[in-house]
Amino acid sequence: MSIDPVTLQIFGNHAQAAAEAMAFTLFRTAHSTFVKETEDFTTGLCTPEGLTFASPRELGATWFIGLEYGPVIRALSDYREGDVGMTNDPYSGFVCTHSPDIHLWKPIFWEGELVCFAVGHIHNTDVGGAVPASLSRALTEVHQEGIRFPPVKLVAEGVLDQRLLDIMLLNVRAPTQNWGDLKAQLAAMTTGERKVHEMIRRFGLATFRAGMEGLLDLADRQARRVLSSIPDGDYEFHDYLDEDSPGGLPCRLQLNMRIRGETAELDFTGSDPQLTASLNMPTGGSARHILLMVGWNYVLYTLDPTMLLNGGLVRPATCIVPEGTVLNPVFPAAVGMRSMTCMRLQGVLMGAFQRAVPDRLPAGPASGGPMMNVNTTDNRTGRRVMAAIDPITGGGGGAPDGDGNDGSGGNSGFLKNTPVEINEAEVPIRILRYGLEPDSGGAGKHRGGMATVLEFRVHAPGTVVTARNRDRSRFRSWGVQGGLPGAASQFWRNPGTARAENLGNTDVVTLDPGDVIRIVCSGASGWGPAWERPVAAVEADLAAGKISATAAARDYGVVPGNAAETQRLRAALAAAPRRDFDPGPEREAYEQVWTDANYAALTAILASLPIHWRHYAKRQIFARIEAMAERRGDGSEVQAAFAALRQDFPQIAG
Amino acid sequence: MGDLSPVRYRLGVDIGGTFADFCVLNEATGEVSTLKVLSTPATPGQEVIDGLRGVQSRFGIAPADLAWFTHGTTVGVNAVIQRKGIPLALFVTRNFRDVLELARLKTPDPYDLLSRRPAPLVPRERVIEIDGRLDADGTEAEPLDEASVRAALEQAEARGAEGIVLALLHSYRNPAQEHAAQALLRKLRPEMPVYCSADVWPIIREYERSVTAVVHGHVQPRVAFYLASLQRALLEAGVVAEPMVTKSNGGVMRAELGKTRCVEMLLSGTAAGAIGAAFVARAAGVPRAMSLDIGGTSADVAVITDGAPSYGTGERVGDFPVYIPTVAVTSIGEGGGSIAAVDALGLLTVGPESAGSTPGPACYGRGGTRATITDAMCVLGFIGHGALGYDSVRVRADLAAQAVDEVAQALGRSRQETAEAIVQVAVSGMYREVSKLAARQGVDPRDFCLMPFGGAGPMLGALLARELGMREVLIPLTPGVLSALGGLIADIRSDFIETVYADLDAAALPGLTAAFARLRAEATRWIREDQRFAGEVTFRPSAEMRYRGQSFEIEVPLEAAWIEAGDLAAMAEAFHQAHEKLYGHADRGAPIQAIALRMVVAGTVPAPRFPEQDRVEGAPEILREVEVWLDGRAQAAPLYLRSALRHGHRFSGPCIVLQDDTTSCIPPGMTGEVDRFGNLRLTAG
Repeated sequence: MSIDPVTLQIFGNHAQAAAEAMAFTLFRTAHSTFVKETEDFTTGLCTPEGLTFASPRELGATWFIGLEYGPVIRALSDYREGDVGMTNDPYSGFVCTHSPDIHLWKPIFWEGELVCFAVGHIHNTDVGGAVPASLSRALTEVHQEGIRFPPVKLVAEGVLDQRLLDIMLLNVRAPTQNWGDLKAQLAAMTTGERKVHEMIRRFGLATFRAGMEGLLDLADRQARRVLSSIPDGDYEFHDYLDEDSPGGLPCRLQLNMRIRGETAELDFTGSDPQLTASLNMPTGGSARHILLMVGWNYVLYTLDPTMLLNGGLVRPATCIVPEGTVLNPVFPAAVGMRSMTCMRLQGVLMGAFQRAVPDRLPAGPASGGPMMNVNTTDNRTGRRVMAAIDPITGGGGGAPDGDGNDGSGGNSGFLKNTPVEINEAEVPIRILRYGLEPDSGGAGKHRGGMATVLEFRVHAPGTVVTARNRDRSRFRSWGVQGGLPGAASQFWRNPGTARAENLGNTDVVTLDPGDVIRIVCSGASGWGPAWERPVAAVEADLAAGKISATAAARDYGVVPGNAAETQRLRAALAAAPRRDFDPGPEREAYEQVWTDANYAALTAILASLPIHWRHYAKRQIFARIEAMAERRGDGSEVQAAFAALRQDFPQIAG
Repeated sequence: MGDLSPVRYRLGVDIGGTFADFCVLNEATGEVSTLKVLSTPATPGQEVIDGLRGVQSRFGIAPADLAWFTHGTTVGVNAVIQRKGIPLALFVTRNFRDVLELARLKTPDPYDLLSRRPAPLVPRERVIEIDGRLDADGTEAEPLDEASVRAALEQAEARGAEGIVLALLHSYRNPAQEHAAQALLRKLRPEMPVYCSADVWPIIREYERSVTAVVHGHVQPRVAFYLASLQRALLEAGVVAEPMVTKSNGGVMRAELGKTRCVEMLLSGTAAGAIGAAFVARAAGVPRAMSLDIGGTSADVAVITDGAPSYGTGERVGDFPVYIPTVAVTSIGEGGGSIAAVDALGLLTVGPESAGSTPGPACYGRGGTRATITDAMCVLGFIGHGALGYDSVRVRADLAAQAVDEVAQALGRSRQETAEAIVQVAVSGMYREVSKLAARQGVDPRDFCLMPFGGAGPMLGALLARELGMREVLIPLTPGVLSALGGLIADIRSDFIETVYADLDAAALPGLTAAFARLRAEATRWIREDQRFAGEVTFRPSAEMRYRGQSFEIEVPLEAAWIEAGDLAAMAEAFHQAHEKLYGHADRGAPIQAIALRMVVAGTVPAPRFPEQDRVEGAPEILREVEVWLDGRAQAAPLYLRSALRHGHRFSGPCIVLQDDTTSCIPPGMTGEVDRFGNLRLTAG
């Protein structure tokens, strides 16, 4: 049975209402502040095959639109009314993608027939393991990332498996919170079931089934329509994480996107090998894994904001993700911090699409801003205080239609901050500055959004500051169409004093009383040549303190009140060759050594090695290249370095 | 204002985008008369005078006969929406200049890479930093530097500021630095308005407090000017009663006080509507109601329990949230003017684009050509049987058909099928929003009675109730003027708050008790001295509480006796119960924080008693029978005049009820009965 378009619209509103009702139920009844503050959860409805056809818009994580539950649904059998499946194992079907995410799925029946599933997850504050919160870049095996459950029935025919629950709660650091949040999840599942039953009563079973497929098809058609508006072609884009492990090497993420009519092939070959750090993104090499498709969803929705957000949206795409790489690691690689890689990969997809439709999409967004946590002692009470104080964010990229949003935007628009007044009332620190960092937004006809800066002083010895997900301290976001890159991120201890220490790309620091921390996110990049920015707009930025006089003259060629000088400077800037892509001098210097040819050679070599050798071999080859006096950049020095490595370790070839 | 005993007539006036609504209450009989005149946005206040003339000519009530006059104005809200208030400077604590720019970070549509926060009301060049710092407990860490205030003033003036808002960190705990800076600025510039965030509404959370103060400062001069003009005009017109204005909190205050508390009036129109609906619900014995106010450009829902609406803060005014206690009203759509269109994939969409009040729906014949919900209802045969809006609009069915036909062609359906599809899609969009609202509050719409009002509420209300599975609908006697009615029955009311940020324990108790005493003294002074109210007064203390570690508070009503007795256990238990009710769980072992204490003072305005009709038997008179299209087919539907429907009359859908200001559409499967107050009570069969 097919469904007529009007009924589909009405059905779509009901399905949307169901997903939203699930989200509100979860949000309202969740116990942990973490859930309320970060909204790192999802709810939704999926077909019996596991395709999500309804997701909430108002609440919840923006990344998991259309997450496919098929693999975990199929891992269990003999579904009965009242069952609820659960897993948090990233390697059991790659539905869960790191251990703190506990996923549930509940079969919904109508007159004995299975019609769909209510699904969703919550990121729990902690699921045990080597470190509090279960996440650290330094972890190397998934076993260190907390207790894991393969797909299992947490509830069977309405009866909770108490033993299973007890085992979970025994192994986590905040069991009451986890249990409280799990109850909220179960309540959301029940809401989903009730809403589905209402829908079946309203529309009938046949229309309900046709409606599920109809919504997926509609998003699919919407996506195809957007794709057909993009010129056919091959669009290459790559970017780097500053480090592939603590103190490590750059990690390259590579995409060759091939647009053909209404479809796209996303080939991630050339991305770095699997890491001995927790930055790996577990995708199982699926053709449309959600973590590979987050940037896709952002871009398609941006190109057509009437887009339905469901699993149909990713159907026109096919991904190629070689096994044993950072984007398709094999067990037991650690994966806890995959969000950092995912964030950067979103930018890679945005970049590839930007190349395809440069006049419809923005320049590179800021990213690499951490979630700041402070663990200190209140000197008055002696009480240990642990608190998440703020996400450090940067703006959206300059766009064809105007400047990037300052302070947050692009793919970080979902984050919320904590008021300074609440932080100072709750945490014994003094906040010295919170706001926008001048000159951090990349110059352009349309300026990149500015970064935020946070400075604070701590008062107790042994204060530990954690800045999880820090990046872009070396490689900056990318300017386009003549726009300049935004500024790099910063992390300082006691800046502007004799004891000043640049903390570089580190993410954990222990402080003494009186120490000051200064942290700045990276800035977003500019779109279009800065000298084309109207003088009045440059002067307005100057008056608003968003740029300095130095930057106005240097980047924009504007000297207020001096028309002759402005004209001269602008003419000089206009005379320089326009660059359609500008990732900044740091990346250019790096790519002098690590040319595309050298990297292709490296990728080919590493791909031929057994997985457990790959990250090690990468480090070794890098060290040898570093030591070379002369380089040609044609891949030969990589071959030479590998030959030398093989000599040292004949067993490497396996 | 003093004694209410000689009151004979009360007049409530509510000004909307298209019409100004007048509601006159005869206190002796409880009888209500209504009138609408076109609003005069170019000369605000003129419509009030026009309406007073109408009231005199139509009902023979002279301005001097009015002993109670309440008024809701949109001058403030329009100034915010159009950003037409005065240019302000905002003085902030040094190094915290971006409080407005950053807001709470989240962008309006996080899925859209191009999403941007709206530009603040004060641009960054006029946000100026001054020196001085308080700790979180209110103690002074660094004194206020007067030189920095002087320098900031110079900058502000050089950049065109005509007013100044002071919003310094932690001023909710200690307003001394803001007050000192204000005193200095007043000395330096006696004519310049200067506002302190701690005086506007002293809550913790710098963005929320600052944006509220900025919105207040933005509109204050304009609203004060308007109120002064109105006061003069009313005097000239012979109104001797002191004018009162309606407030976002559902109460009223003297217009004179409104001149300095403009921020409290911004959402008074929707609030008064909910108050009016709550009053009707209470009188009709409906314990749980959802009011549904649909106009040409908006559709709003409020939840009413036991005759009182819910309250919230952070309600939006234009682009900005305003954090003062406000009757919680949720937007569920764009109203009867929502435009229908067919997109590139052949899908029918309704809204968010709206034909607004100009040009309005095609069938209004004012230049609109695109099909709206109202046009679809016209094609279906539900409207167009009489003039709309007190004869101000003659419905042009031919223009509605023309507009719907364009959509029909794109959709490949017949005219009637298309019109029904437009209505169904629009109603399902409203269904989605009401369903979300219910889920957020943890209630089931089916436990509520829907109360549609406004120009288009009764047209769509029963259809929405059907979609939501709500079994009961109550259409009030005067659905077109419920906000005006709400204004004239509203209590005199004001809110007071003190942020205490204390643990709810014995050590903090003396502080809490003292804070409540201060709030009560402040509230008493307001109602007796500022408001000059001599009648019966109630005080409602409450506390905003949370478990330690949570980042959001719940407002918990407290009993005065608990505060007097220092009964911490009772206060804690009230919080646990409120938490349980709202979130489904409570943790009786966990420590509780009281973030802020609040006091509501209300001076009771005697409630009117609507006249009760004698019960009649038999069927109501059918004006004529018309054909409507619904549920995929043409059906015969009787047409009734509302004025002919009396207590006890029964009718059943499909049918149509006509009255001066609205048309009620009753679908098949619903039966209706007129109650003793003349309300239409519909029940799903």
